[in-house]
Amino acid sequence: MRLALISDVHANLEALTAVMHDIETRNVERVFFLGDAVGYGADPNGCIRLICDLCEMRLLGNHDYVALGLDNADHFNLMAKESILWTQKTLARKSIERLADFEMEATFLDYYFTHASPENPADWNYLFAEQDAARGFERFSQSFCFIGHSHIPGVYVRRPDGSIGIVLPGSFEAKPDHRYIINVGSVGQPRDGNAQACYLIADTDGNKFEHRRVPYDLAAAQKKMRTAQLPEYLITRLSSGQ
Amino acid sequence: MPEIVIKFNDKVIERIVTEKKRVTIGRTKDNDIVLENRGVSRKHAQIEFADESAVIIDNESLNGTFVNNRRVSEELLRDSDVITIGKYSLEFHHEVKKPDASTQMDGTMILKTKQQKQLVETDRMEREIVTRAGGSVLLGLENTEVAEFRIDRDVTTIGKAKFVHVRARGFMISGIQAKIVREGEHSFLVNLGRKGKTRVNGEVVDRIQLKNSDIIQVGKSSFRFVEAG
Repeated sequence: MRLALISDVHANLEALTAVMHDIETRNVERVFFLGDAVGYGADPNGCIRLICDLCEMRLLGNHDYVALGLDNADHFNLMAKESILWTQKTLARKSIERLADFEMEATFLDYYFTHASPENPADWNYLFAEQDAARGFERFSQSFCFIGHSHIPGVYVRRPDGSIGIVLPGSFEAKPDHRYIINVGSVGQPRDGNAQACYLIADTDGNKFEHRRVPYDLAAAQKKMRTAQLPEYLITRLSSGQ
Repeated sequence: MPEIVIKFNDKVIERIVTEKKRVTIGRTKDNDIVLENRGVSRKHAQIEFADESAVIIDNESLNGTFVNNRRVSEELLRDSDVITIGKYSLEFHHEVKKPDASTQMDGTMILKTKQQKQLVETDRMEREIVTRAGGSVLLGLENTEVAEFRIDRDVTTIGKAKFVHVRARGFMISGIQAKIVREGEHSFLVNLGRKGKTRVNGEVVDRIQLKNSDIIQVGKSSFRFVEAG
């Protein structure tokens, strides 16, 4: 079975739409969403609606959690805070109701899904290095964990001898008896230097994975953000993918 | 004949119809109206009747006597005025609104609902719980895994998801159906999930300030909110 795993849409409807069109062409049966539907971008309601229409499994991200008023935005940087306060004002009642049904974690076959580091999902920690991954591997029993949060596609592997390594994102096939934490990248705000939307296709037959990059109408997304008077830095960073 | 309707936490517990010229109110048994609550002084206040008028006089009580939420020392009562003393409210009427079967005692008819002792006892137990918890508490009543949950965070989530603070049961309720938000001294219940699945005292709510003893229903689960202080 082929799955599409998408994360960190961040209210970028142009990027999400382009990714969904790409998924349509990839013989995918199910789409799972790994969190952060909102924050930063100008289309929170449209993105939540599309995610609910097309994704079978939906997880909360830290921006969604703050948008629901379940945590305050004080630990966000100033621009993230400004955008999430705008999001709170912009969210329709129906969008809040939909977000209120997103989960914190999920499993499917030998796969485990959560938004942030699996070490403690509700703490929203980042997983940036091998030592973070080493702790993360201790907290789930499945062979594969899929996350988002950092907006940087990446793969950590735990070899049978317990050592941790890094696999370059792209296309790869899992090795037997190895365990993996795979960051699927960000649809709506990539930060790995590539401005194109990013997501992952997982083939459960043989555990083959592919990070895909999808161009989208970046100018249209930026124009909407300017109209909404969102912080300029958040608008320009989309162009550089940083 | 004048009538005084006594309520405790918004529930009618007694109706008093009196022919007396003077009705005393306080915590001790020798008062005409006995209000068992720590916020009530032993000889808290009295109502004096003369001709067609009635005047409430506060006996320099510690926590004060209020008429329509305004603290008073001496105040002419008008029909339907609400006197607040501690957790009790006394609704004043110049004439009996609902004459009823009654017992006669020194010219004063007392129509007890028999709930008073139970209400006061419940209140005493709840005070003990919040004092022990050091803050407001949700008491689990029906279909809930929690017996007692302390509201000690800025936001407390209620719903059927595994990760919420207080789990609730019910068909078609959301993962996070509702939240309790602390704002200063007050707590607010906000519905986030499906409409109609969050109720307070039987009424569907979107956002409401919680009062002590409110019954919160989320899906099939119900809780009593016990406010600290």
